[in-house]
Amino acid sequence: MTDKIPVTVLTGYLGAGKTTLLNRILTEDHGKRYAVIVNEFGEIGIDNDLVVGADEDVFEMNNGCVCCTVRGDLIRVVAGLMKRQRPGKPAFDAIIVETTGLADPGPVAQTFFVDEDVKAKTQLDSVTALVDAKHVMARLDDSKEAREQVAFADRIILNKTDLVTEAELVEVERRLRKLNPLAPITRAERANVPLDQVLGLGGFDLGRILDINPEFANPAHGEAGHVHDEHCGHDHHDHGHDHDHGHSHGARGHAHEDDIKGVSLSLERPMDGTKFTAWLDRLLGEQGQNILRAKGIIDVQGEDRRLVFQAVHMILEGDLQKPWGANERRWSRAVFIGRDLDEAALRAGFEACAA
Amino acid sequence: MKTHTFDAQITAAVFDNTGAIFALGDGSVRFEGGEFSAAHDGAILCAVAHPSGDGVLTGGDDGRLIWHRRDEAGVLATARGQWIDAVDASAESGLIAFSAGKTLTVIDAKDAGFRRDFQHERTVSGVAFDPKGRRIATSTYGGAALWFARIAQQKPTFLKWAGSHTAVTFSPDGAFVVTAMQDAQLHGWRLKDQKNLRMGGYPSKVRAMSFLSNGQLLATSGAQGAVLWPFVGSNGPMGREATEIGFDEGSLVALVASQPKHGLLAAGLNDGRVWLADPAGQGLNFLKAERGAPITALAMSADATRVAWADEDGQAGVATI
Repeated sequence: MTDKIPVTVLTGYLGAGKTTLLNRILTEDHGKRYAVIVNEFGEIGIDNDLVVGADEDVFEMNNGCVCCTVRGDLIRVVAGLMKRQRPGKPAFDAIIVETTGLADPGPVAQTFFVDEDVKAKTQLDSVTALVDAKHVMARLDDSKEAREQVAFADRIILNKTDLVTEAELVEVERRLRKLNPLAPITRAERANVPLDQVLGLGGFDLGRILDINPEFANPAHGEAGHVHDEHCGHDHHDHGHDHDHGHSHGARGHAHEDDIKGVSLSLERPMDGTKFTAWLDRLLGEQGQNILRAKGIIDVQGEDRRLVFQAVHMILEGDLQKPWGANERRWSRAVFIGRDLDEAALRAGFEACAA
Repeated sequence: MKTHTFDAQITAAVFDNTGAIFALGDGSVRFEGGEFSAAHDGAILCAVAHPSGDGVLTGGDDGRLIWHRRDEAGVLATARGQWIDAVDASAESGLIAFSAGKTLTVIDAKDAGFRRDFQHERTVSGVAFDPKGRRIATSTYGGAALWFARIAQQKPTFLKWAGSHTAVTFSPDGAFVVTAMQDAQLHGWRLKDQKNLRMGGYPSKVRAMSFLSNGQLLATSGAQGAVLWPFVGSNGPMGREATEIGFDEGSLVALVASQPKHGLLAAGLNDGRVWLADPAGQGLNFLKAERGAPITALAMSADATRVAWADEDGQAGVATI
């Protein structure tokens, strides 16, 4: 048996720089073999037999689950790509799926959880959203799809940062973070982001959700409340920052209130595992259509290992992962990103699961 | 029994009048006698015997439809920039039908100037001729379309059923069209009145459907055994139950193969085993009893005397029954 092939989904509006990034992925000297599934055929000015066209064929499964929409074209194309697999070797090092600016990332992601053939051969690695620093504010104002793509992402690449001022960037990042507190934001010019920040992120890998913990609701550099940690790339011993979680100070949020937002919840007391699972199942059952993404790490009473979960709409994956360390702070935290979320009700429901 | 080892995945097995032919994921075609044809630039996605009975037609992800014979190969048609996902051919009419994206194309094996292109609203997943080779059924999202093979300007008869249909076949008497669906079930239509047939209960997607016993049985994969639907009388399987043969809890039937005029059924399993059975008799005859990689290709010769199979790891075999 060979390992499953990781799949990265690349979302973003027209002009955000997806084509530039895809061209880099295809031409850079990395010694890897990538297949790219594109929607806007012809935009990539490269004659490459590993670039495949797809036609955004969204359909509903007949299984009675209203939000179980999948992409039929992806099922077909992935099955076709797998025929290139040679005995004992994966067909590709990774597959990259480009979506159009108007695409809903939900059905793309759900395809990788719902279809048995696709699931057997591939594994969704992450959804990366490219946004154009100069135009993203206007796009977020006028396009539901643009807001959804940002909210859905495991990582956001803020491209074309050379075209705007630092103050504008800070403003953009603040709004992006409010839409999606889970996704780290990487600044880039001409899509010059290192490929290891796009591929192999493990955004849906329960075993790696512990690693992203310090990024939870962590404001950017230079903003009030930013916590320096091993992820922010410089030596925190040299900084005299106040390690403070007081997110209330400083100007937070854009003048507009977006319909989509991320809600971060936490609890210092252990939780009742049965109560929590029942609450989460009910929540996703009732509001799954509006919940784009959710991730969490839960301290379950009487359990040495942490309960880790992630969800895409109504599709939930959860498992007990690494044991808590002897000196580790045991606490539960979860982030829900979605449309029209009632933050107070979510908080009350979450906290009512305390053991 | 003869075995072969190839260094690429085998995507289809076909018998022509001479012997077994394997189509591979590296774009090559291997004949049982050792002949080799490497005409595709990419993977072969589908294959069927040529209407003449000499050689194989293959559709590739390079958008080419190629006719391979033991001594030569030639491109019969192209679909620019698209994958050729499905192909069928009719020895009766000498016509060839293939799909690329939303287009069904019909060409004539004896007339290089003949070509018809028929458009669908959604991608076509499967193509099948009726027994006389005059009509073609395609499977697509929302149902199946029926086309007359030779008529240039026409509106198809669309057989509607909600959902994504992934493969299609005609019953040997031409009375029924059956599709496999994305959500692990079959759907059928009786053509004279478009009455619906729902055939469900599968634990997994159905990849292969094949008629046998003079069209009285439709065998399918997708369960722990081979599932057999009765097609006797004008009602077909309406109100009847399917039977299952060769049930084994630990494995799934990945593919089935049979011939409409004969009563034998071959099944290839997801654990690498291959068996042969006579649904009217008892017991299974294992053509390949040792387990291995899942079976990805299976075919039975027209006279039901030989079976060819291949697995995901490039192992292939041909057995005489």
